[in-house]
Amino acid sequence: MKLAKFFASLVITLLLIYLMDRGWTIGSVSIPPLGKFLDPYHGFWQNIEPLGYQGKKQLEIPGLRAPVSVVYDSLLIPHIFASNNDDLYLAQGYVTAMYRLWQMEFQTHAAAGRVSEIISSDAVLDYDRRQRRLGMVFGAHRALKAMEDHPAIVQYTKGVNAYIESLSYRDLPFEYKLLNYKPEPWTPLKCALVLKNMAQSLNMGDKDLEMTNALKLFGKEMVDLLYPDNENTGDPIVNKPGEWTFPPVTLDTIALALPDDLIKIDKRPRMDPTTGSNNWAVAGSKTYTGHPMLAGDPHLELTLPSIWYALQLTAPGINSMGVSLPGVPCVIIGFNDSIAWSVTNAQRDLVDWYKITFKDETRSQYLLDGKWVDTKKVVEEIRLRDGSIFYDTVVYTHWGPVTYDHSFHASSEKNGYAFRWIAHDASEEINAFYRLNRAKNLREFNEALNFFSLPAQNFAFASVSGDIAMRIQGKFPVRRKEEGKFVLDGSKRSNGWQAFVPNEHAIYEANPSRGFVSSANQYPVDSTYPYYITSTHYEAYRNRRINDVLRNSGNITYRDMMRLQTDNYNLKAAESLPTFLSHIDTTQLTLLQRQAYRVLRGWDFYNSANSAGASYYEAWWDNLMALLWDEMDADTPMLDRPTTYTTIKLLKERPDLQFFDIVSTPERETAGDVIRKAFVLAVETIEEWKSTRATLPVWAEYKDSFIRHLLPPLTALGIPVKTGGNHDIVNAHDRRKGPSWRMVVSLEPSGIKAWAAYPGGQSGNPGSAFYSNMIPRWARGAYFSLLFMRSPDENIQKTFYTTVLNPKEK
Amino acid sequence: MRLFVQIITIIFLGYALEQFLPWWAIAVAAFAGGLLVNTNSNFLAGFVGIGLLWTGKALLTDLTTDVELADRVARIFMLNNKVLLLLVTFLISGFVGGFAAMSGGALRNPAPAR
Repeated sequence: MKLAKFFASLVITLLLIYLMDRGWTIGSVSIPPLGKFLDPYHGFWQNIEPLGYQGKKQLEIPGLRAPVSVVYDSLLIPHIFASNNDDLYLAQGYVTAMYRLWQMEFQTHAAAGRVSEIISSDAVLDYDRRQRRLGMVFGAHRALKAMEDHPAIVQYTKGVNAYIESLSYRDLPFEYKLLNYKPEPWTPLKCALVLKNMAQSLNMGDKDLEMTNALKLFGKEMVDLLYPDNENTGDPIVNKPGEWTFPPVTLDTIALALPDDLIKIDKRPRMDPTTGSNNWAVAGSKTYTGHPMLAGDPHLELTLPSIWYALQLTAPGINSMGVSLPGVPCVIIGFNDSIAWSVTNAQRDLVDWYKITFKDETRSQYLLDGKWVDTKKVVEEIRLRDGSIFYDTVVYTHWGPVTYDHSFHASSEKNGYAFRWIAHDASEEINAFYRLNRAKNLREFNEALNFFSLPAQNFAFASVSGDIAMRIQGKFPVRRKEEGKFVLDGSKRSNGWQAFVPNEHAIYEANPSRGFVSSANQYPVDSTYPYYITSTHYEAYRNRRINDVLRNSGNITYRDMMRLQTDNYNLKAAESLPTFLSHIDTTQLTLLQRQAYRVLRGWDFYNSANSAGASYYEAWWDNLMALLWDEMDADTPMLDRPTTYTTIKLLKERPDLQFFDIVSTPERETAGDVIRKAFVLAVETIEEWKSTRATLPVWAEYKDSFIRHLLPPLTALGIPVKTGGNHDIVNAHDRRKGPSWRMVVSLEPSGIKAWAAYPGGQSGNPGSAFYSNMIPRWARGAYFSLLFMRSPDENIQKTFYTTVLNPKEK
Repeated sequence: MRLFVQIITIIFLGYALEQFLPWWAIAVAAFAGGLLVNTNSNFLAGFVGIGLLWTGKALLTDLTTDVELADRVARIFMLNNKVLLLLVTFLISGFVGGFAAMSGGALRNPAPAR
């Protein structure tokens, strides 16, 4: 009896341990190992940092040559002081991993199409397959060839691995515990994948397939009206007509063969035309101090852990501060003791799709220059969470991987669409940033950028010695007119990229007479630049507002720079709302509509956090776009909406355009009808919003922004923020995207001063007070004064604590 | 009294073993507690002892921080708040401790009640 009781209870105990020592998946819900996870001595509770928590003061790290001081300031920004370059990058890798390991690894998994290993679902598998079929790893391998031996990469990798090896379950970042997996060793390939991931966010935008469909359905003339190459919205980034004196690289002229296809591919995710960034530099002639100032705010989809990791890197020959990408050595955007730089996206078309004709459904051969040429098949193994493997055969051609074929989002067995992307080529960005971090002046800045291929960026520059400059740097294929806008014929080699714009021909200006340089993703250059330029879209509003303000300002202080960075003036509304209102017949309005009309009439065109006019305008705009371009929103055939700027222009100039007719109604609508319908819908939208909330429809509440966790299902780890601004506004924070880092630098010879804030915090650990501590100040449009140190002992009263990394004896 | 001693023993052993073993240290501790300080209520001693060992530490962690991760985890688990999460923690650890103490106790005759 006794024995039976013993065995029974023992079996129950062991069973409970078994059940709670492993994770379970029930339907789509994944449960971590409850015993491990909830154990307050090892599980997630151990990730919660007590009030005033400080990390260890001494650490032993294998691979270091000499001790490295890591001084943390009150924002937990590490100021790394190393006695040699090798130790510097090893320390950067180690320290970054301490705070951001999960994010670093997850981003590489996402880039490489390996998310299914962590969470399985049909949508995730589709995502992974797409990543592989876009050649992300293929590109990373090629890129790596040029930089895998770079000491920064090698040492950074060592540092990350030293940290990973020091971990037990107790120390694992929160997300590993929740999702029940472990970090794998870091590799140089992962550094390359993080860069590809950023390149994908910034340089993979294209609408070739959509444009091809538009061409087929609407004809060339309409395509040119709806999707012009250049909208001529104002100042290009660099405007020096007649000064492009070099002889351009030219290609043999061949007649442009326009495609005649209707492509039925469901391409997702669709390109988002509203992301962008701002940067500008002002010469000493226009500043209060008499020395240059620089401002930069890259806009990205805001996520937690934060996209950027701020730090200072100091060793003989380098003292650089700014933000880094977790997973990549060096400072990416920032300053050093002599120069400052910031980037915005160059928006150029760096993607082409080639229509492939296969000999038969085996896809073993395809037509190239009149011959059947062998394809190369790569079998991708996608590991799923449950341990099974999904095999996907990806066909590679002369152009690159065939992304869409009958096994993926397309139906034809004889045709496929091959993907050519600039990021498939070898490149050495690390070399560029390594030099940029050390550059002392304009000449060294330019030499550093010669190593930079992608993602193509507009680099704003300012130096203590008084120079300002703008350079649009990237690897740009030389294109014939209109080449690359539509799907290209993949059976002719001559349709490929045959030459690239040499660095000496880059769009560039230094110390222009207007006393400032700026970029906000607008059209890059005046019409005398001798290369053909095309893109999915160019920005039309932020750039004009920035240039207007800078042109009309003098004696600019750092506070003026901040005010402009957080400026909520809605130029788009100022240019469109009067026209919209003129179409409203006030005698025909209901009470609620009349109220809305009055609010809009009195609105000052600022999307301030507490503005009700902004809510009504944005609701009107969103409803209007959907009604206007209803023809473009269907999934197949896939089409693209014209830009905001072109839309407003057409509403004013072509009110009877065929597209303004709403397809689902029998009447034939013109611009005025649609504007009125959208107004009625907007008022309904706002009233519906009001009915479920206790607050007034002020813009910050109505916009309802949210900074999500990097893993979308973890909504509990995201943070709501209430701010003004929107896309197309200098303060570009919309619901999800916005200024991921705001920086203002004053380049004074007596010492560089810098201010910054970003929507997150230095720690990636949701159990740390530093996970999101910068958000409130960032949301208010306020800044932190950055501590730029020259030695580890300086300003010690402003620092939080110091960790010394010591070489570990073997 | 003896039950009290048993609970204290289990908490003490559990705390010590948690420093060296993974989470199932609590089962070893409760088993030993049941074996060494045997009572008529081994299950109760294991349940309460281990439950307190875990919830106590969790509570302490939560009281010494201003970070609301416990609430966020509760939401991930579709529990309303961290109080429910602590309750679940108590139950989960308590059952492991209870059955482990019961099996330890079953190896010996209980001491006569005094």
